Amino acid sequence: MLETVLAVVFLPFVGAALTPLVYRALGERTAYYAAAVAAVCLALVARLYATGAHGVARVEWVPSLGVSLAFYVDGLALLIAFLASGVGVLILTYSGGYMHGEPGQAKYYATLLAFMGSMLGVALAGDLFALFTFWELTSLSSFVLIGHYTTDESSQYAARKSMLITVSGGLFMLVGFLALSWAGGTTLIAGDGSLLANADATVETLRTAGLFLPTLLLVGLGAATKSAQVPFHVWLPNAMEAPTPVSAFLHSATMVKAGVYLVGRFRPFFLAPFDSGDHGEGEAAAEAAAAAASALPAWTWVLVTLGLLTMTVTAILAVGATDIKELLAYSTASHLGLIVAGFGAANTYGAETGAFHILNHASFKATLFLVAGIISHEAGTRDISSLGGLRHDLPVTAVLAGLASLSMAGIPPFNGFYSKELLFESMWYLGEEFGGLTWLFPAVAVFGSVFTFLYSIKFLSLFLGDRRPSLGEVHRPPVAMLAPPAVLGVAVAVISAVPNVAIDAIVGDVYASAAVGEAHSFSVHLPTELSPYVLMSAITIGVGALLWPQYDRIHDGIRSLLRGPVRANWWYDNGVEGLTAGSKSVVPRVQTGLLRTYAAWALAGTAALALGAYLAAGVGLPAVELAEGTTVAVVLVLGVALVGAAAVTVAPSHVAGVLTLSILGFMVAIFYILADAPDLALTQLVVETLVLVIFLLVLDRLPAYYGSPERLVAARDAVLSVAVGGTVFLTVLLATAGSPDSIATRLVELAGLPPGEHHAPVFFDYGGGANIVNVILVDLRAMDTMGEISVVAMAALSVLTLIRMRSRGEAR
Amino acid sequence: MASPVVVAPILVALATAVLTLVTRFDARAQRATSVLGGVAYFAVVAVLFDRVVLSGPTVVPYYVSNWPAPYGITLVADALSAFMLGLAAVVGLAAVVFGSTYVDEFGQRLSYHPLFHFMMAGVSGAFLTGDLFNLFVWFEVMLMSSYVLVLFYSGREHTRAALNYVVLNLLASAVMLVAIGGLYATTGTLNMADMARRLADPAAYGVELAPTLGLASLLLAVFALKAGVVPFHFWVPAAYRAAPAPVTAVLAGVVKKVGVYAIIRLFFTVFAGGAYANTATFAYVGPILALMAGASIVYGGVGAVGRDDVDGLLAFSSVGQVGFIVLPLGVGMAAPDLTVAFAGAERTLAALGVAAALVYAFNHALAKSLLFLASGTLHATVGTTRLDRLGGLAARTPLVAASFLLGGLSLIGVPPLVGFFGKLLVFRTATEAMAGGTPGAGVALAVALGGAVLTIAYVTRAWNAVFWGEPSETVRTVLPERWRGVGAGGDAATDGGTNGGGSDATDRALAVQVTTLVALALCIVGFGVGVEFVVDAAAHAAHAATDTQGYVSAVFDPATQPGGEGGGH
Repeated sequence: MLETVLAVVFLPFVGAALTPLVYRALGERTAYYAAAVAAVCLALVARLYATGAHGVARVEWVPSLGVSLAFYVDGLALLIAFLASGVGVLILTYSGGYMHGEPGQAKYYATLLAFMGSMLGVALAGDLFALFTFWELTSLSSFVLIGHYTTDESSQYAARKSMLITVSGGLFMLVGFLALSWAGGTTLIAGDGSLLANADATVETLRTAGLFLPTLLLVGLGAATKSAQVPFHVWLPNAMEAPTPVSAFLHSATMVKAGVYLVGRFRPFFLAPFDSGDHGEGEAAAEAAAAAASALPAWTWVLVTLGLLTMTVTAILAVGATDIKELLAYSTASHLGLIVAGFGAANTYGAETGAFHILNHASFKATLFLVAGIISHEAGTRDISSLGGLRHDLPVTAVLAGLASLSMAGIPPFNGFYSKELLFESMWYLGEEFGGLTWLFPAVAVFGSVFTFLYSIKFLSLFLGDRRPSLGEVHRPPVAMLAPPAVLGVAVAVISAVPNVAIDAIVGDVYASAAVGEAHSFSVHLPTELSPYVLMSAITIGVGALLWPQYDRIHDGIRSLLRGPVRANWWYDNGVEGLTAGSKSVVPRVQTGLLRTYAAWALAGTAALALGAYLAAGVGLPAVELAEGTTVAVVLVLGVALVGAAAVTVAPSHVAGVLTLSILGFMVAIFYILADAPDLALTQLVVETLVLVIFLLVLDRLPAYYGSPERLVAARDAVLSVAVGGTVFLTVLLATAGSPDSIATRLVELAGLPPGEHHAPVFFDYGGGANIVNVILVDLRAMDTMGEISVVAMAALSVLTLIRMRSRGEAR
Repeated sequence: MASPVVVAPILVALATAVLTLVTRFDARAQRATSVLGGVAYFAVVAVLFDRVVLSGPTVVPYYVSNWPAPYGITLVADALSAFMLGLAAVVGLAAVVFGSTYVDEFGQRLSYHPLFHFMMAGVSGAFLTGDLFNLFVWFEVMLMSSYVLVLFYSGREHTRAALNYVVLNLLASAVMLVAIGGLYATTGTLNMADMARRLADPAAYGVELAPTLGLASLLLAVFALKAGVVPFHFWVPAAYRAAPAPVTAVLAGVVKKVGVYAIIRLFFTVFAGGAYANTATFAYVGPILALMAGASIVYGGVGAVGRDDVDGLLAFSSVGQVGFIVLPLGVGMAAPDLTVAFAGAERTLAALGVAAALVYAFNHALAKSLLFLASGTLHATVGTTRLDRLGGLAARTPLVAASFLLGGLSLIGVPPLVGFFGKLLVFRTATEAMAGGTPGAGVALAVALGGAVLTIAYVTRAWNAVFWGEPSETVRTVLPERWRGVGAGGDAATDGGTNGGGSDATDRALAVQVTTLVALALCIVGFGVGVEFVVDAAAHAAHAATDTQGYVSAVFDPATQPGGEGGGH
């Protein structure tokens, strides 16, 4: 099994890598090469299905993180894999006709194959992070495909939008996955020792840590962004900027299906009964458990609300659409909402709804997109208002469109009807079981379905009636473009005719994957008696038929409402533009280019950090007393230094400032002399003299005038100076208060000398020099000296560079 | 065992710097020396990495001038140092090859090569030293060379950027001296292992602990400035835009990480003391570090979104990305003793945080240097990195485009690129802390997520403007058609192409640059798919960083000390 699964997932990637080479040899016929690769995948998936493969297969990937390339095969995984590879074959074949003469074909087929491989990976992955890897790869490949016409402004906009929304959502989901793997102690999704196997205990750990709802929301956010649930549906209609075959693929079998797949996969986990009876402490815990059992599960209220909202809102938007691909795009979001709501419902009908509708939606939506591709390719327009009577020119296409749109409308006996009926059933039972506000669920489901009916009939009507005079010549599609939708249309017809065969073949297994606990077998039938949900279907179709003559008015009404903040797009566009504009206005204010601002922040930050630390450590001020050997001379010298420091702040010119500053420096030098440190004093004198001379030379070329700062700036600088000075003063005071056993003392002791004596001999012996400073510089800490020598060398190089590069720049 | 291989990276870089100075008379010899030096550096780092990590992990000290610790200067190579050196070696090699064709002939002969290798010497010394004052010296070596490299072109904006960069770093150097002096006065030692030992057992050495938190905080400010964390980030954007592309690649990829390394080494190995005896440091520094990291993530991300040139966008991105690197350190400090299962053992959250920071830093080093180099190639071919003057380059330079895309995606954290695993570990650190009930960890997680969204926003904006869309007038003039490699330039030149499709020499230079970009992109993919190697090395490094006891006993191992304590030499 492992070899087969690995082949299914990685063959498309290998195929993608080889595509540029193949394209050189085959040119446009690369489409059929790619379709062949997809066909092999399909055959391999069929082999998995036929051999009844089930369970986990894994290879190690990142053992340090516990991440393995694990795969899990069950009904749900196989259905999604069938859809991805099967629809993949059709889409790639269709592309052979559709993409004739289009640019960038090698890239197109390579990305499309990678897209398919990623989706197969998502379907079959059995490890959270392996799943996430393929998940992000679907986002990435759809980014490239949506942006296929790279010079189009609208393609770029659409590609960026899909990337921003789906990859962001993915990152939120990643955090949810981390919480799951933290609570479960494993990254395996299903199989022995996995999250699903230990759902009860893991859910309890999450609840105890207060992370259950956050985790559910984070994982749900990932699914919602990917499956274009409200309000994240905005990227999907724009994604039609991609070539139509890509749209068909993206809407029916890949990308958006990843989100509902995830919902189905984690349904048994998040609906796992919360059992605190064994571990609870006292009555409170028992009560909480009882309350948890009777209350609407979080999973249900989150997902059913989300799903029904999406289903309704996007169905309304589909009625407001003016472009056939736009209509289909909103319709996709709407049907995904239906699936999410189904999986959300905490009853068996819910799982049945989701399982069956994944298949049904893929079959009719892929057909419809390919039909839309034929229309736009052959009629040259996608504008709904200028299309009509197409059956005269495209008879076969019209039959396919009829079949698929009636299924989409949920009209019996087509397959879409059965899953819609299951949704009504599950919503009805939610109302019955939980009462109260949950009765809104069946009501909203019917309300939204009315609009589904309306736009489905609208799509069908493009083929009915009289041929529009504005329509030019409409060509017959080539076989490569007609055969794939025909195959899909036949699939719709077969599933409609014998739905229970499809259920027995695979949908039942899908249902079992998404069901909590033991799964029973299920079947669907045309209604023979009046039940609440049959009534719901009847209302939907009846009201839809009544409203149909008013379609244009409803359409106009919806369009007139879609203004400003009502549109989710308004929020997206203003968010992104506002961010860019905000960035443009904030940065110049912060990065002023003024050294004064920068230094102020750095110094203030440093002082705050240090003073805060002294405060946090609760240090007391050490007692200050005059050190032994403090003479009048020392006091005098330091006093003069202080006066010099103070004078700098009021110096009227650059030169005066530098001169007063040097008073401070020279006083320090004298202090060194008085403190018996002649080496230091000499160094200080040399440095001070040099600095003074250089300063004066440079200042000669600068304006003499300081200018007077604003009062507020001066006050700020004064406060800052005091804070910085205070920090350094405090630091020195505190640091010199202690008398640790220092290495210098130890070194002297090691040499066996009494402390306080003249230490020359030891350094002479060990360091070969009579001067302690010399020994330190050239032996004990020779490496420091080597570093500083290179600094001096670089200083010389810097002078050279500045002069030569600048004079060269001026010479230009 | 002590081993001279520890000092080899420093010596190779210094020797190369000197050799490129003395080969200035011959441009080709100088260039060859420089590139060979880069290769040799990579080789000795590989040997050291093998010695310390792969056939270990061990801690290998080297006693400079044969003075025993703590009296002389001790260099210490452990898994943490080796990890950082490895990062430096990869980026350094790419940058030295790229630079040998990117920087103009005059600049190369003047001072570019010696300065570049001095910078590598400073970086290596900082990663290897086990002595606080010696760390200061290597910082100075690194900074002095980077000062000159930032103002290298010596134009108006370069000088201005360099002035800000120099002054802020001089302030930081002064603060660092105060802190080091204070720490010596307080603890009585400069040797890091000795300092850790004394802080863990202050009574035995007569050490007064109270001032150490403040002194440590001063060092934190210094390291934060080197790393470019808010509010010490001001120098970053201008300096990164001013420096030549290969230098910026090293500044963003490696030099920035020296600040991060210093935070890890000082706070986790030294100040944390034996078995977190001195938790007060973590309790104070952790939240502050997390706060600064969060501010960096937000400010860097927001700043990057609106930039109008690729360099500026990448520079602000660096501020944001370093926030991602520092964030797990702060979170790890906030709950250091929380146990997590990681790399096949029960470890502390502190260790997980360090590992997260290291993996993220490794990704940032690869991805950001790739992106800056790609920006350099744009500059070399089109002559600008302004977004409104580019466009349509995916069709004209597909390899540059593909490399740029991979670099950008790795910054975002798209699997299976190495950047994903950085994000994964950063998020995991915060998630574990949150699940463990650490206050504020949820906020840190939210900020990180927000920053990740900002990353997507600016990467896609740059991609759309530079590589997709209609080519601008400039692009159409300079690259009238797809660039087809060496030798194809002649036609373009006769068509009126200027610098882009010019002579064979320009084409060859471009070929070298594109090869470098592709090599780095392959590293990003390769280290992503083979991330076990990186995570394993980071786990060893994190263990080394948090294992104060192991660090101390390796440095004071009587078997390796020259002549034993008191024996002199």
